[in-house]
Amino acid sequence: MSITPGEEFVQLLDPAGNAVHHPSFADDSTPAELAADLRDMVLARRIDTEATALQRKGELGLWPPMLGQEAAQIGSARAVGPLDEVVPSYREHGVAWCLGVDPVDLLRTFRGTAMVDWDSRALRFHLYSFVIGTQTLHAVGIAMGMQRDGVVGNPDPAANGAAMVYFGDGATSQGDVNEAMIFAASYAAPVVFFCQNNQWAISEPISLQSRIPLYRRAAGFGFPGIRVDGNDVLAVKAVTRWALERARRGEGPTLIEAYTYRMGAHTTSDDPTKYRRAAELQEWRAKDPIERLRTHLLRIGAIDEHWLAGLETESEALAERLRAGCVALTGDGLGDWFERAHAETPPGLLAQREEYLAYADSFEDAR
Amino acid sequence: MEFRLPDPGEGLLEAEIVAWRVAVGEVVAVNDIIVEIETAKSLVELPSPAAGTVEALLVAEGDLVEVGTPIIRIGEGVERPVQVVTGQVQDVVAEPSVSGRVEDSPAAPVEAGGPASGTPTPETAGTPGTPETAGSPEASRTAMLVGYGAKPASVARRARKRPAEVLLPETDQVDESYRTDRPVSRRTDDVTPAAPVTAQPSGETLPGPGQPTGGGEVPRPPLAKPPVRRIARDLGVDLADLTGTGPGGLITAEDVVAAASPQAPSGGSGTRRMPLRGVRREMFRTMTASLQVPQATAWVEVDVTRSQDLVESLKARREFAGLRISPLLVFAKAACLAIARNPEVNSSFDAEREEIVLHGDVNLGIAAATPRGLIVPNIKAANRLNLLELATEMNTKIAVARQGKLQPGDLALGTFTITNVGVFGVDAGTPIMNPGEAAIMCLGTIVRRPWVIGEGDRERIEIRSVCTVALTFDHRLVDGEMGSKFLADVAAIMADPGLAMLF
Amino acid sequence: MTALTMAKAINAGLRRALAADPKVLLAGEDIGKLGGVFRVTEGLQAEFGPDRVVDSPLAESGIVGTSLGLALRGYRPVVEIQFDGFTWPAFDQLVSQVARLHFRSHGRLTVPMVVRIPYGGGIGAIEHHSESPEAYFAHTPGLLVVSPATAGDAYWMIQQAIAADDPVVFLEPKRRYHERGEVDTAATPLPLHQARVVKAGTDATLIGYGPMVRTCVEAAIAAAGEGRNLEVIDLRSISPLDDDTVLTSVARTGRAIVVHEAAGSFGVGAEVAARIQERCFYALQAPVLRVTGYDLPYPPSRVEDDFLPDLDRVLDAVDRSLAY
Repeated sequence: MSITPGEEFVQLLDPAGNAVHHPSFADDSTPAELAADLRDMVLARRIDTEATALQRKGELGLWPPMLGQEAAQIGSARAVGPLDEVVPSYREHGVAWCLGVDPVDLLRTFRGTAMVDWDSRALRFHLYSFVIGTQTLHAVGIAMGMQRDGVVGNPDPAANGAAMVYFGDGATSQGDVNEAMIFAASYAAPVVFFCQNNQWAISEPISLQSRIPLYRRAAGFGFPGIRVDGNDVLAVKAVTRWALERARRGEGPTLIEAYTYRMGAHTTSDDPTKYRRAAELQEWRAKDPIERLRTHLLRIGAIDEHWLAGLETESEALAERLRAGCVALTGDGLGDWFERAHAETPPGLLAQREEYLAYADSFEDAR
Repeated sequence: MEFRLPDPGEGLLEAEIVAWRVAVGEVVAVNDIIVEIETAKSLVELPSPAAGTVEALLVAEGDLVEVGTPIIRIGEGVERPVQVVTGQVQDVVAEPSVSGRVEDSPAAPVEAGGPASGTPTPETAGTPGTPETAGSPEASRTAMLVGYGAKPASVARRARKRPAEVLLPETDQVDESYRTDRPVSRRTDDVTPAAPVTAQPSGETLPGPGQPTGGGEVPRPPLAKPPVRRIARDLGVDLADLTGTGPGGLITAEDVVAAASPQAPSGGSGTRRMPLRGVRREMFRTMTASLQVPQATAWVEVDVTRSQDLVESLKARREFAGLRISPLLVFAKAACLAIARNPEVNSSFDAEREEIVLHGDVNLGIAAATPRGLIVPNIKAANRLNLLELATEMNTKIAVARQGKLQPGDLALGTFTITNVGVFGVDAGTPIMNPGEAAIMCLGTIVRRPWVIGEGDRERIEIRSVCTVALTFDHRLVDGEMGSKFLADVAAIMADPGLAMLF
Repeated sequence: MTALTMAKAINAGLRRALAADPKVLLAGEDIGKLGGVFRVTEGLQAEFGPDRVVDSPLAESGIVGTSLGLALRGYRPVVEIQFDGFTWPAFDQLVSQVARLHFRSHGRLTVPMVVRIPYGGGIGAIEHHSESPEAYFAHTPGLLVVSPATAGDAYWMIQQAIAADDPVVFLEPKRRYHERGEVDTAATPLPLHQARVVKAGTDATLIGYGPMVRTCVEAAIAAAGEGRNLEVIDLRSISPLDDDTVLTSVARTGRAIVVHEAAGSFGVGAEVAARIQERCFYALQAPVLRVTGYDLPYPPSRVEDDFLPDLDRVLDAVDRSLAY
């Protein structure tokens, strides 16, 4: 899984925490902004590991960890503008964190007390999607709507927005993802396809999904594709900003392949020891996204041990909030769901609800 | 607090304890890995749900444990270290720990440039103002969920508050569906204002989908199920004329039938029911029992003209005056004489001792038709009676039987039975034995028939009195040869009563 | 009041909808310049522009999926699937996404989408162009399924479907596209999900929708010549079903015959029959009968007349019903 020399691979910070020059991209973040990136990565990781632990304790039915993908998610989330709309798959807990989704709301879905219970319109972060790849079409449709809303290509950048959709390497094999790219190209839709290539689709390696590096697919559809070091938050930020600005200006779609690694299992039901080698993990552990930024920031004096200790405290508090929040989650009774299938519930369904409520109430141990 | 084995995911029901990662007395923090388990799918590490001291390990390594079983007890009240987690990568790819090297332990933080890798760096707990996990009562007292596994199968119904009403769907739900004013369900109110669209609406507004207006009430038809309707149709009854006696005015089949034939007592005309009582019941039982025995029937046609002549001559004799004399008497005597030569037909089976009991005497049962049904009184030691005594006994027994005054002793201990179906005009039959006996013989009706008599060149046809004698016997006690011989003997006597002198 | 073909009636209804609400969009293959393979969208792109009458790439899943995105953005997309047999690539988007979004968003998001599908047989077409897929969608909670039988109904129902905030599968009986009917553009339309008693009767109730309504009416006319007075109901809405109209009718006549082109087993007729026997049990003089396509893939067009329910098969069922 190593990068062939000569392959386009935007990197601005190497695994050892050294700044790297790139001819086309640069990062102009202030130290404070970088510290904020580190903080969000650490907190996102803490949410992820805490949720994993909660599943192991039986508080959640399932959790898909994003461990190792913090830079890809926080870096890209940083590029999202006030008029942009973000469409996730089901693993974008870091993006959710950055865009203001309460992490306890993420837990609801996996605890089984709710479907997907956050206000996607207000947050402009759409609902998690569990059918692989279907969300890419939705994002293109949103982008097509933005074109008609007049929020694309205005002279004032502040008046422009674009859509960004997240999906994985496995998803690129799905018909819907390919159709989405066709539609995006055909209509020059303002959409950024952000593919987190974490090398694995459950147990299938990327080599099964594609014979060529994923970012090159875009050329086949007729728009730019670019590969970025997904564990380098600086590079991800820079590239995503570029792609979103393109889209907002009306220059059409971009495919970003964030080259990263799924350090955890596909979900808590998966056992990667059955198909991955420990050596591979060791290799990627050395490229840890949080490590390199922390090293860099300590070296340049943007943070110190005291700051890190404070972050640890904050992280601990967040974990406690998650644990307490999780166990307190209860869901609606079935009766509340009858009116959610339709905007206007048909009389027959209302009758079914009444029947159900009467039946449920007829038991001594009525819940 | 005791903690139970959680459902490791996707409904798995049990797991094996592979390795404890903590020991009794050890202090643990929330999320420290306490145990490694193996499920049907994979090896899983379980984190501690609470901080405290391990008080007891409730299951052992190697145990197969069901989800929900308590596995560990953790007590509170000790200072607990807080794991430094910055930069920690929890390694879910757990290689089996060969030597227990700490660096493979997922609890160990991996810090570049930190202390010797793998050693947890304890810091004092309780940074002021920080809510401590262990200190918060909710966290330590929270019981663990048993998990999302399949519910154990229930074999009992949940208790109801009141007997479930059986809603006639037609009454309640049909009424429900006719109500037309349904509340409109809630709508989405929070819509992010989008940038204004330049196009302007023109033309009239679109018509909404609206709600169905619906008709009036469903007219109530007569309540009758399809089978009842069919009966009504067959009997020509109009359901609309009836008031049903079933629940809710349901018209029952009985209602329809009653309406069809008003004079008939309820239950319909033409059919009578007779409870099985007394004699009939007994007959029912004995016949049923009898037919469990392997039986065979043989019969023979006999020229009984001479027996009839004998009967006539007996009737003329003074000593037989007042007695009913019929061929049945000759038949009875013949039976007794023939039994002497063929004792097996007068036997029974002792199942306990597995012996065939050849009776010394013939307790001759005479099947009698009485108003109450078939009764078989028997004449004890009929073989010892002369013809007059036999005739007397027969008369008496039958008379008493008809009066219904037989004693139990009269009915018990019979060894052989004869029956006369001839009185009913029946030629022959396959009589059914009295249980416990080896055979039953029946006499058919005597008819006048052309018959071949004489031999050689004196062979000629004459009209004679002929009847059929049939013998049903228990084939376990009497074989075909025995049965046939006995029958032949009886026939010979009936054909030529003088031959009785030979017996 | 004008006489229009059903295709023209739908065209007029779409035009009216596009004019009334700037958020209404049409999307589909060949709907722009060509005006659709059945000319249902003729002239609309010229009038409303390519941004509102959108020619789509050849990808049904893509058309429905992007339309869902447009709906999330506040638009009211009206998708055309070119032929019933080509609905399937979009099935996942319809069933796992469009049908569920309101539910899975806890009621926050609506999908006011209409999916127009020309359906049914009887036009001598090749494979995949004569399907009747209504049962799949009726069986999907969250989707509404309607089918106009006449030009007049088509004109109004398409507008009502567009105005509905829920996703509607709008099945257009293609064998009736070129049949004329009265369209009253000033009328107050019947509610979208209400059935209509097309002909009142007493002896038995024929229940049909879409292309079979005319077949039922023709059967009723023939039956009248035999002295039988049949009632004919046009369901108009398959999901939700107008139980009220159907049950009231069958309670009176005591006999019901459901007619549809789709295969009988597990079809709409089975649902209607189940509801009738459950709620009209005591009124039934005969079991509910169904006259349907056989349980076969749609056969070669040369034998489709033997496959599809027609007047004779309907009256045959009426005979059987009346014989009870």
